[in-house]
Amino acid sequence: MAAISKDSGAATLIGPSIVISGKISGDEDLTVRGRVEGTLELSRGLVVDPGGIVKADVSAKSAVISGVVVGNIRAEESVELTHEARVVGDITAPRVVILDGAAYRGRVDMSGAPVAAAPRPAQATPRAPARVTAPARPVTPLARPVPPPAPPSRAPAPSAPAPAVARASVQRAEGRPVPPPAPPAPPVVAGASRKKVIVRKRK
Amino acid sequence: MANTVIGPDLVIDGEISGDESLVIQGTVKGRIALQEKVSVDGAAVVEADVDARAVEVSGRLTGNIQASERVELRGECRVVGDIRAPRILIADGANFKGSVDMDVKER
Repeated sequence: MAAISKDSGAATLIGPSIVISGKISGDEDLTVRGRVEGTLELSRGLVVDPGGIVKADVSAKSAVISGVVVGNIRAEESVELTHEARVVGDITAPRVVILDGAAYRGRVDMSGAPVAAAPRPAQATPRAPARVTAPARPVTPLARPVPPPAPPSRAPAPSAPAPAVARASVQRAEGRPVPPPAPPAPPVVAGASRKKVIVRKRK
Repeated sequence: MANTVIGPDLVIDGEISGDESLVIQGTVKGRIALQEKVSVDGAAVVEADVDARAVEVSGRLTGNIQASERVELRGECRVVGDIRAPRILIADGANFKGSVDMDVKER
C-alpha cells in the first residue's frame, strides 16, 4: 500500500511564496513548499519540502518532513524526518524515522500502534494510535472546576499542543533544555477551598 | 512558474496570501490576497474576499472580488458579491449577483 502516492496528479501543492494561515483539512496528499500556520488535518500524506515552513499541529496518515515544522505531528502510519528536516514538537506515530542530519527536538511516541513494517491493507484500527496516545489526562479534574490552563505543565504533551510548542521554543532560545518552571500547585481537592495560592515569579 | 493548487478534496479555512498564481479546485473560506492570478475551477467553492491581480472564476464564489487587472466570470460560474476591477468580463452562461465597478485605475 502506497503511503504517499506522490504522483497522484491531483494533489495539492502550496507553492513557495504562498502563506496560508488558518485551518487546512482534506482528503488528499498535500505538499507544502510555502508557509502554513494553524492546523493541518489530512487523511492522506503530507510532504513538507525543503523551504516549506509549517507552524501548525499536524495530523495526517503519513508525513515526510524535509522542511521546518513547529508543532506536534500525529500520523496514523509513519513520520519521516529527512536530513534537511528541522522539527520542534512531539511526534506520535507507529513508525517514526529520523534520518541523519535531521534537527529535531520533542517527544516521540510510537506506543500502542500496529507496528507493521509493511502496513497491511487490513489496517483495521487506524484510530488506535490516536486513542492510545491521547494521554489519560482527566478532562474533568477533581471536584472543583479548574481552568484548563491550570493542569501541571509536566503533563504529557501530545494533547496539549500549544504549551508544548511554546515551551519547546523557549528551550531552544535558552540553548539547553531546562525543566519547565515549577509545576503549579496541584489541583486542590475540594475541602481546602479557602486557601489562597499565590504564584510569584522568582527574579 | 510554480503554481499553487488547492486540490478538490482540500478545505482551507483561513487566509491565503502570497505572490504566485493560485488554482483552487477545492474549498476555501476566509480571505485570499495574492499579487498574481487566482483561478477558481469548476468544482471549487470559495467563500472569501479575493484580492489579486487577475481573477478567473468557473466555479462558485461568494465574496467580493478586487483585481488590479481583470476579472473574468466564465460560463457556468456562480458568483455572489461585488467586483472591482478595471476590466471585467462576464461570459454567457455566468450567474452573477452583485455590483460591478470598473472605475478603477489600472495599477
